[in-house]
Amino acid sequence: MNGGPALVSIMRQGSTLIASVHTALNDSELVRFEHDLVDQIGEHRSRGVIIDVAALDVIDSFAALTLRRIAEMARLRGAQTVLVGIQPEVAFTMVRLGMGTGAVPTALDLEEGLALLAEQGSHHPRPDDPEA
Amino acid sequence: MSASERFGDSLGHTAEDVADLIPMVRRIVYARVGSHPSAEDLVQETLTRVLSAASTVEPGMLEPYAIVTARNVVSSLWRDADRKNRNQHRLVDLSAPEPPEKQVVLEEEQSAMATALARLDERERRALLDHEVDGTDTHALAARHGTTAGAVAAQLNRTRARLRVEYLLAIEHVDPPTDRCRPVLIALSSGDQRRQREVQAAQHLLECEPCARLSQPLLERGQQRDDCLRIPVSSDADIVSARRAARELATRLTFGATDLTVIATAVSEVCRNIVRFAGSGEVVVELLEAPRRGIQIVARDGGPGITDVDRALGDGFSTYGGLGLGLPGVRRLMDEFAIASEPGHGTTVTMTKWEGTDRERPT
Repeated sequence: MNGGPALVSIMRQGSTLIASVHTALNDSELVRFEHDLVDQIGEHRSRGVIIDVAALDVIDSFAALTLRRIAEMARLRGAQTVLVGIQPEVAFTMVRLGMGTGAVPTALDLEEGLALLAEQGSHHPRPDDPEA
Repeated sequence: MSASERFGDSLGHTAEDVADLIPMVRRIVYARVGSHPSAEDLVQETLTRVLSAASTVEPGMLEPYAIVTARNVVSSLWRDADRKNRNQHRLVDLSAPEPPEKQVVLEEEQSAMATALARLDERERRALLDHEVDGTDTHALAARHGTTAGAVAAQLNRTRARLRVEYLLAIEHVDPPTDRCRPVLIALSSGDQRRQREVQAAQHLLECEPCARLSQPLLERGQQRDDCLRIPVSSDADIVSARRAARELATRLTFGATDLTVIATAVSEVCRNIVRFAGSGEVVVELLEAPRRGIQIVARDGGPGITDVDRALGDGFSTYGGLGLGLPGVRRLMDEFAIASEPGHGTTVTMTKWEGTDRERPT
């Protein structure tokens, strides 16, 4: 099913993982992305995750749900998630559709996202995570 | 030969002189190419040339002239034969010989056509054959039956549509499983959209496997419209291609970026319902000109259907692990939204976005 160029790249910067979605993803690809990302959080002992969805032209109910699920799983694994790069049209559509990102914090772009994580990280130097 | 009068003039020779040369010419030619099938032709050729030149040949020189001519004619035969040999390879037919199965296929097609023709009723068949095979034009046919040329042409079109269906059934050796199959296939074959709606053709194709297969060539015939797209949906990847295609088509109107996203998202939602609950179905995206410019999306499946449509449209209801916002959300996104569902016979969602109606643009 896959084998072409990477659909998502996950990079590590310090204790933060930066996941950039490069193209529209179908449902199975979204689910695979979810698994990959959660695996990597454990592998790199990440404290923060930034998901850049600027390349997603459509965030429908399933995509929104998956992003929320990723954030919740990351939280359980001791990492804080920030969604960045939601396009204005996409934001409008999500509101009309009745989908939001729930409690997942968002930021305008990558830079703002990193700043948000740094700010929150300073308030919680060591998250209370028995597994970490 | 019109020049025969000239043979008698003082300078030249007469036809009799030429006739006297015949045995000699024949001897010369036969000595060289006696066994050649065209030897006698060459003799005649030589005599013709000598005869036409006879009046201008000096007295006493006719015999040598005939001898030279005979030699020339023979050598030009050889030259021709030689040229043919040298160029033979250029004439080789490089196209592959007909494969033996072609004949079989041809015979099958013929017998299918014969069966199909036999299934038409006598009057239809007569009219079609008169028109197509004998070349009788529609005016003549109309005069014969006391109708108009237009009516005859319409009748011929209906007959052709039936013939296409019967031919397909015959060549595929399919017996239509239900009573609805024939009317549906004929409606598709004729490309009559009103009739297709009457017999609920699209719905039937989702339920009837043989018809879905047979309708393929019939639908391809009619796929000339470029403002209408039909996308089969049966997997995750199809959801993405369907919403992409809808967005693509919508860009032809003057929708803004927000509306394009709204349309793509709505298509994505209804396609997901098809994949989740019905397994497979189709989406038809069509640009509308009347009553206003807009885009209409019809998503159709032959799945289990929705028992309680009103509840499905209420926020918070869901039969899968989502947020229960699928259909009501889509209804909020689009300008028109209608859903028809019959338990056991699938669901059809029809939704429309009109051009330039969005009052809530974010920018």
